[in-house]
Amino acid sequence: MRTDLTRHRYWVAVVAVLAAECALLLWNVWHYDWLRGYDAYANDQYASTVGDEHRLPSADESGVWHTPPLWFAVAGLLRRAAIDHGWGLPQRPGQLVAAAAGLAVCALVLLLARELWPERRLLHLVALVVAAASPALVRASAMYHPETLAVALAASGVLVAVHALRTRWTVLSSLGAGALLGLAGLTRAWALPVIAAVVVAVGIDALTRGRWIPVAVVSATALVVLGPWLVNEQRAHGSALAFNRPAPAGSVLTRRPVSFFLGPRSLRALEHPVTPLFRNELVPHLYADWWGDWALTWDSPPPPAPGQLLPSRVVAERARQAVVGLLPTVLALAGIVAVALVAVGRRSTATGLLPLTALAVGAAYILFTVVYPSTDGDTIKGTYLLMALPAASIGLAFVVDSLRPRTRACDLAIGAALLLFVAVQVPFLVL
Amino acid sequence: MAPRSLTDARAARLGLAVAVVLVGAQALVATGWSLTHDDPTELALTTRCLEREKGLTIEETTDDPVAQSARGGTLRTIVEGNLVTLSVATSQREAERLRAAYGSGDPGPRLDVRGRYVALWLRDPSPTQRQTTYDCAY
Repeated sequence: MRTDLTRHRYWVAVVAVLAAECALLLWNVWHYDWLRGYDAYANDQYASTVGDEHRLPSADESGVWHTPPLWFAVAGLLRRAAIDHGWGLPQRPGQLVAAAAGLAVCALVLLLARELWPERRLLHLVALVVAAASPALVRASAMYHPETLAVALAASGVLVAVHALRTRWTVLSSLGAGALLGLAGLTRAWALPVIAAVVVAVGIDALTRGRWIPVAVVSATALVVLGPWLVNEQRAHGSALAFNRPAPAGSVLTRRPVSFFLGPRSLRALEHPVTPLFRNELVPHLYADWWGDWALTWDSPPPPAPGQLLPSRVVAERARQAVVGLLPTVLALAGIVAVALVAVGRRSTATGLLPLTALAVGAAYILFTVVYPSTDGDTIKGTYLLMALPAASIGLAFVVDSLRPRTRACDLAIGAALLLFVAVQVPFLVL
Repeated sequence: MAPRSLTDARAARLGLAVAVVLVGAQALVATGWSLTHDDPTELALTTRCLEREKGLTIEETTDDPVAQSARGGTLRTIVEGNLVTLSVATSQREAERLRAAYGSGDPGPRLDVRGRYVALWLRDPSPTQRQTTYDCAY
């Protein structure tokens, strides 16, 4: 017997999930010490320089001078306003921007799923819940950091592109996709592989339709928005993609040991997923940080000094997160592959865009971590891969929805599994 | 024979197969490593540090049931003429248990609990003696 969620229940569930996510992210903003977020002090130096002096910081003034300026401009202006009006903590508006963007990412995942498979309501809900309960997204949404804004802008651009690829490109959709993607690139460099993926997808679409104007307009618009920043970086720092440390000399192939690629201590990620274990082993380090908090910047004391012990609660909570993440990780990987197969099999560039973004972001990320190795592992962070969250959560939902028996009992079981997935994580996600 | 069409369910199953192979390969590498390699314990690291960097001689702890009950192991050495028994706890609870077990003998400043390391000195330690053990904590 085929079952489907009724329209009414579907919208009740959507609103409930988004409202709960909004409450969660706001609560966390108010309970998270902004200084514990990644690069928090350097971010504040950057934001104050842009907000107060209306210029970019030098390399001496902020350790994140290499990051594009959009979020810093917004956070800096709000910071100035907060100080002028005595709103209390001047960094809080910047955190609220990150939280609003985190909520927007969840909504965009839902819209992307609806755009690709309009009739599959369970798929939409599974994707929404998985995205909303992703620890990396929840943590990034509480930080004084540009990551979530970049993801929201990039996902918006991808949504416009997917819609146009499914229907037809107009001048407005071409300009819109290009502008949103350009703004994403103006927020965080991790949007660049997403831009590349969209341009490739639109190019493949142009090959079949014989219309090249959308490719030109999307690319040109993104370049117009992003170009000045890249030119500034090239002129001021010698590279459009400058980073805050020079890459070491020598071959890229020798910059990381074999253990970086193989992750030999992966099993320990399920039992003790915190620093300093398996530092700089890509897979376990990234996995532990996505589902938990490898570097101990969330609800924990700072990393202990040598010889000191962490409270056992801290390790146990993160170990539980690591175990909870196993099945979703397998399903998300499967989903990205499955959606790619469907796209190739049906020659659908709209369907293929999401797995293409995941592939591009993953490849760019690995290249980055290899080109810029670090001894303390600070270039390996789960939040750096948030650009792949829409592809991962929608892919997971696609697998679940495609393989489920069409019975009411199965639908209820999936609902119960989602509730359990969220409930088990609540102690970690809520500060 | 006509090729089977790629239904969503078939694509999902293929995706699952790829994901299981990838995760399985990672698990295989990790299992192989854990079966053939032992990462040094804190006790082993401390022993190596005391021997190589501090030039001390490490002995086995033989007549201290409290130290010998420490799950992270124990060692004995002499720092600047003062005998110390170092025990390594694996949790805060265990460190407290060791402290309490030693505490009944009223050791005063001879007992020094710092994180996972519980040190029982023969005589009150000097700052430099304590620092020697702190330097080799992991």
